[in-house]
Amino acid sequence: MLNIIRIEWLKVKNYRTFWILLILAIIVIPASNMIVADVVSRIPKQATDLLGKNFYDFPVVWQTVANVNSFTSVIFGLLLVTLVTNEFSYKTHRQQVIDGWERMDLVLSKVFWVVALSLIAFVVSFITAIAFGTAYSAFNFSFEGVQFLFFYFLQVLVSLSLALLLGMFIKRSGLATVIYLGYAMVLEQLLTVGVKHFFGPIGGLLPLQAGDELLPFPVVDKVLPSSADYGHGVYEITIILYIALFIGITCRRMLKVDY
Amino acid sequence: MSILTLRNISKRYGSLQALREVSFEVPRGSVFGILGPNGSGKTTLLGIVTDVLKADTGDFTLFDQLPTATQRRQIGTLLETPNFYHYLSGFRNLQITAAVKQRDEKDIARVLEIAGLTARQHAAFKTYSLGMKQRLAIANTLLGDPDVLILDEPSNGLDPAGIAEVRGLIKQLAQSGKTIIMASHLLDEVEKVCTHVAVLQKGKLLTSGPVNTVMVREDFVEIGSSDMNGLEVLIRQHPMFGNLSIGDGVLQVFFNGVVDPGELNSWLAGQGIWLNHLQVRRKSLESAFLEMTQN
Repeated sequence: MLNIIRIEWLKVKNYRTFWILLILAIIVIPASNMIVADVVSRIPKQATDLLGKNFYDFPVVWQTVANVNSFTSVIFGLLLVTLVTNEFSYKTHRQQVIDGWERMDLVLSKVFWVVALSLIAFVVSFITAIAFGTAYSAFNFSFEGVQFLFFYFLQVLVSLSLALLLGMFIKRSGLATVIYLGYAMVLEQLLTVGVKHFFGPIGGLLPLQAGDELLPFPVVDKVLPSSADYGHGVYEITIILYIALFIGITCRRMLKVDY
Repeated sequence: MSILTLRNISKRYGSLQALREVSFEVPRGSVFGILGPNGSGKTTLLGIVTDVLKADTGDFTLFDQLPTATQRRQIGTLLETPNFYHYLSGFRNLQITAAVKQRDEKDIARVLEIAGLTARQHAAFKTYSLGMKQRLAIANTLLGDPDVLILDEPSNGLDPAGIAEVRGLIKQLAQSGKTIIMASHLLDEVEKVCTHVAVLQKGKLLTSGPVNTVMVREDFVEIGSSDMNGLEVLIRQHPMFGNLSIGDGVLQVFFNGVVDPGELNSWLAGQGIWLNHLQVRRKSLESAFLEMTQN
């Protein structure tokens, strides 16, 4: 596995597109929170007093940051789609098997990125939450509510696993990007609304929606609790099952198909 | 020991039967040519051997072992087109191959030198000409000095000087005892270097084995004289005359058995015909191949 990671490093070390997308994905995390913090600071004081806590006060800040970041995690997905489809457009997936990788190594090399990018998103969010909490909070530092960042980590993992699956199946970079973005940003929301309307809360168990259910916007969720929900555990297990399913299907395909 | 043994390999793409029960064996130290026109299944066969394609039925061994990534790391392979990261330099692309093959990076300089790419090694792959891309692919196969090479149309995209260089390189590698499996539709290329051949046509193996036993290529003698009519009449009376065809200002004569050119010359001179052209030739692989595939 270490050798696989070293090879992946050699592929991206001098790849400008990778670094631009990665830096963008990282910068967007504090930047979008800055925008939200700015908007929040303009809410009249009477209104925030009514809600009890400010969004960037400890311990609420963990949930706020996790919620805000869940909207921008698609940038990591785009990065992953690029890394996966590159192999197909350059046919280097073929060459690496020819030169002595097992087909499974191809899958592992990209699962590595799913995990690595999710960890980067998690760590940057963690630092962002501490920084914003320290800067804005009227309350003392607290880890209470830090589990929301783990929910965010799970959400990025499932989103990237989906990007992996789409990249490996579609192979063509442009088409895979459009389908991934279309699903993540529009199609799944539509499905969720439709399924919830006709079949009830099971609509919340779609892959990306399950993460959203774990990450409601803070404070407001206490005032307006969503109508029907499962416990946290159900969503967590659902997400983990989706991750296993997406990676499992990817393995099955890559081990069998002609390159 | 056999380097590669194929047993009843079949492969179908939809309605197209790309390979039909192909079996043969590549002995160690041979230069093994896989011949066939475009679309005869050569690349499909090599794709199966390198695990980028899956055979429908049949199996094969590499180095008498079940084929896995470990065996492939001991083989330098160029399949179809050069596959490299466009945004990386030639050198960095070879670093990746070295890591995949688990070979020392120190060998990169040597193979780049052989391929004549030392001066351009730090330029991005996308800036290379077609010939340079092909030469980088050849450098890639030589990395780590493997004992076995698989080359699919190795002179694709090269200019005449490049083709001659690659041919020289293949001969040199063969002399150093390496086994080379080479697919080509350029018979001329195969004729100059191969010790063994397998001939494919529409996915079927027509024949395989040592080149001289597989392709019957009898010698013939090309003769010319200022008196061509007299020469033709006289040569038909030679005791070992077989048959003849009239070539471009010369006669191509096949004998029943081996005729020494010196004795032939003296026999004709003794009857008053003086030759101005005499050459012993061998039927080209191309005509042998055409005869075989047209039957």
